[in-house]
Amino acid sequence: MSMFQSTQIILAVMVVTYVVIRLLKVSTELALFFAALAGALAGGAGIPTRHIVEGAFTYLDIILIFVTATLFMNLLKESGGVAFVIRGILSRFHRHRSVLFVLITLLLLIPGALTGAGSVTVLITGGMIAVVLHYMGIARPRAAAIIFILAGLSAAAPPVSLWAMLTAAGVNMPYVGFFLPLLIPCVVLALLTIFILGWKGRPVDLEKALAELPDAPAKMNWLKVILPFLVFFAFVLAGRIWPHSLPIIGLPMMFVAAAAVTFLLSPVKLDFLKVSRETIHQLLPLIGTLTCVGILVQVMTLTGVRGLIAVTIVTLPLTVVFLSLSVVLPVSEAVLMWGAAPVLGVPLVLLFNTIGLNPIVALAGMSVIWPLGDALPPTAIIGRLTKDTVGMEESYGRMLAYCLVPAVLIIVTGTLMVVFSKELSFLTLL
Amino acid sequence: MRVNVRSLRKAGFLLLGAALMLLAGLSFYNSRHLKEPVVLGPSVTEVKKLSDYFEGLEGTINDANVYVLEGQEPGGSVLILGGTHPEEPAGRLATWILAENAVLEQGRLFLILSANRSGTTVTRLGGAYPPDYSIETPWGERTFRMGDRWSNPLDQWPDPEVYIHYPSRQELAYMDIRNLNRTWPGRANGTLTEKTCFAIIQMIKEEKIDIAIDLHEAELQYPVISVIVAHEKGQDLAAMTSMMISGMGGFDLGMENSPHALRGLSHREIGDHTDAISLLLEAPEPMLDATRGRTDRKLLLEGKDEFVVKAGEHGLLFEKIDENGWPIDVRVGRHCSAILQILELWTEDHPERGVVVTSVPRYAEVIENGTGAYLHDHRKVSPARLRFE
Amino acid sequence: MIITILYYVLIGFIAGLILWNLFKTRKWQDELLYVIILMPFILRLLRLK
Repeated sequence: MSMFQSTQIILAVMVVTYVVIRLLKVSTELALFFAALAGALAGGAGIPTRHIVEGAFTYLDIILIFVTATLFMNLLKESGGVAFVIRGILSRFHRHRSVLFVLITLLLLIPGALTGAGSVTVLITGGMIAVVLHYMGIARPRAAAIIFILAGLSAAAPPVSLWAMLTAAGVNMPYVGFFLPLLIPCVVLALLTIFILGWKGRPVDLEKALAELPDAPAKMNWLKVILPFLVFFAFVLAGRIWPHSLPIIGLPMMFVAAAAVTFLLSPVKLDFLKVSRETIHQLLPLIGTLTCVGILVQVMTLTGVRGLIAVTIVTLPLTVVFLSLSVVLPVSEAVLMWGAAPVLGVPLVLLFNTIGLNPIVALAGMSVIWPLGDALPPTAIIGRLTKDTVGMEESYGRMLAYCLVPAVLIIVTGTLMVVFSKELSFLTLL
Repeated sequence: MRVNVRSLRKAGFLLLGAALMLLAGLSFYNSRHLKEPVVLGPSVTEVKKLSDYFEGLEGTINDANVYVLEGQEPGGSVLILGGTHPEEPAGRLATWILAENAVLEQGRLFLILSANRSGTTVTRLGGAYPPDYSIETPWGERTFRMGDRWSNPLDQWPDPEVYIHYPSRQELAYMDIRNLNRTWPGRANGTLTEKTCFAIIQMIKEEKIDIAIDLHEAELQYPVISVIVAHEKGQDLAAMTSMMISGMGGFDLGMENSPHALRGLSHREIGDHTDAISLLLEAPEPMLDATRGRTDRKLLLEGKDEFVVKAGEHGLLFEKIDENGWPIDVRVGRHCSAILQILELWTEDHPERGVVVTSVPRYAEVIENGTGAYLHDHRKVSPARLRFE
Repeated sequence: MIITILYYVLIGFIAGLILWNLFKTRKWQDELLYVIILMPFILRLLRLK
């Protein structure tokens, strides 16, 4: 049997296992795990304990970012800081819809742009923004769509775009020249999205909103809310300005510092352990998915399935490759999350480089499309997170329907960036 | 009763988890602590440590052995780095052959077999690498650690959210702060990986190294492959080497200039920051290709892969590949021949700074006899002539 | 160095939280998932990987 046939069989076993396990009403995370186990068995690797555990390590550092960032936000919420901010924003800007939109776009883009994770955007500012959007007369599914799309764009936005970084590292290309090719589409598409989806609303009924919103503790003030964020950004900026004079703090510890400041400044007494335990419980699907995807990617590599997928895609006719980016990138993201960058990003960028396209702009275009997959099954990780954070009770499909128009805009923009990357190479400033 | 069932179930899951952790943990421990013997060759006069050149590395995992080979006749000094990227085994094995066999007639040869020792103790997450591999020898097997491209997080943690290279301030992917070929020229008060580069730079200065050769392997889909990458100081030497090897060495070896825009690489920074000529050799390693199929010891050693062949048929590769693959002996042999050629050309042009080496096999010999033929039985050597990596 | 130690403390703290939740949860799927996500935390804490 050729390697093609044997790996196709292994892939089929993995897919069938996944589907059967899901039909048995078992969670996505565990289905991914069992699919990996079945793949290893079918591939003749037995139960490869070393590879299972090594795969589980793949996203450990990213998991630490999620846990600490969410802990920070949960502490801020418990301290009344979130309610305080929403009341403040609504009181100040309730008459100026456009200003509010631009402000919201910034608030949604910054956390993900700095951390590279759309989930951090959803967790840090998504909840607050959802409430603001609600009082602007935007229905929950529509608000969820805005937050999801902007969270995805924030993850792709510079300075930290993990897809671009992981792929660039995979092809031994320095992570330079990406700033404008990522920033311009992300900002433009974010603004387009919020204005398209949010325009039809109604003026803010300030009195009603303030009456319905939870009260902020009397002793809460702007300083107490802003200081933890300032501490976080101070660490980030200090690391950028004096990278060679300061020790490496790492994002997780920066979030821990921000969480500590929030805890100390809180006007109400916070049960730190309780909030921590609930944070882990709240993040279980996310951490579980990341861990199990890591295991799955490792087993796919071990058995050759990863290579099968990669070689099948890069050997398609070029026009088909361009046209299929709109499907292949989101789907690969939906299955592998950041694992899609090494699995598909690397061979695709090398392919584009071989045919004379600009790898930086092409990769930036791909990076804008990738996050759309975070709303799709099997993982749908950021989509699910957004639905929960927004507190949407309508069906998940409603949110997806609202995502459609911005998603098409994003796909068209990203694909055009790939096709015309050579012409757009001036954006890299290199 | 229900509570008991639940407790039992939890205990069961925990036991399963514990069993997985125990088995995997043992495997991780064993590969991190696997000892790789080095039989000191006839010309090895001293085995130094990197910390002899920079105290900051003392007691760390990256305080690598520096094998010093000296000839009767004075001459120049050449440094060869293996294990900059420990996931590229041909580079390490070539330095092993040199350490165990080379006879120096003139000058000095400095060998580092594990330039990033930390990186030899871990395998790439998601890469499904085998933990080790064995080379057949006439007297049995010699087992080596398979490594990673990056230092082990157990030795350097955490990573920043973006790596800013010193001193250029170029921004690189966060994990490349653990990539020894992105941290040159290094810093005395930097991370472990940066300190390692700093120590080697100190060594190059102190020992008045004339040429530093960094041994690598690359995926076939990567444009910089089967080449010698040269700093501008070494352009003539590299061009001549490429010509001689491609003409008479039995294989094609291209030549590329070290780009100025790429920072932190040995061929750029060693040349910029020391008097040495810096060169980097790349051999093809199909196991690094993203399109590779089943990943195992066989692929590592034989370099045969149907999927990579298919990518080649579609014109996606920068090096040819057929059903014969790229066996480890071919890759090691390329490095051996290229090194010998560089030394010969250098000695011709700089007789007073010459480095003359004999008893090292060339490409055709390594292929014919196998790499293992040049690894000596460490069980029959006195402890004084034995070291471990 | 101090920061690295703080990271091990963080890993230990999160491992503790995962274990706590594992003992508290009543759903078998969550139990199994907690055990899976616990593995890297424990092995990092033991400095094995």
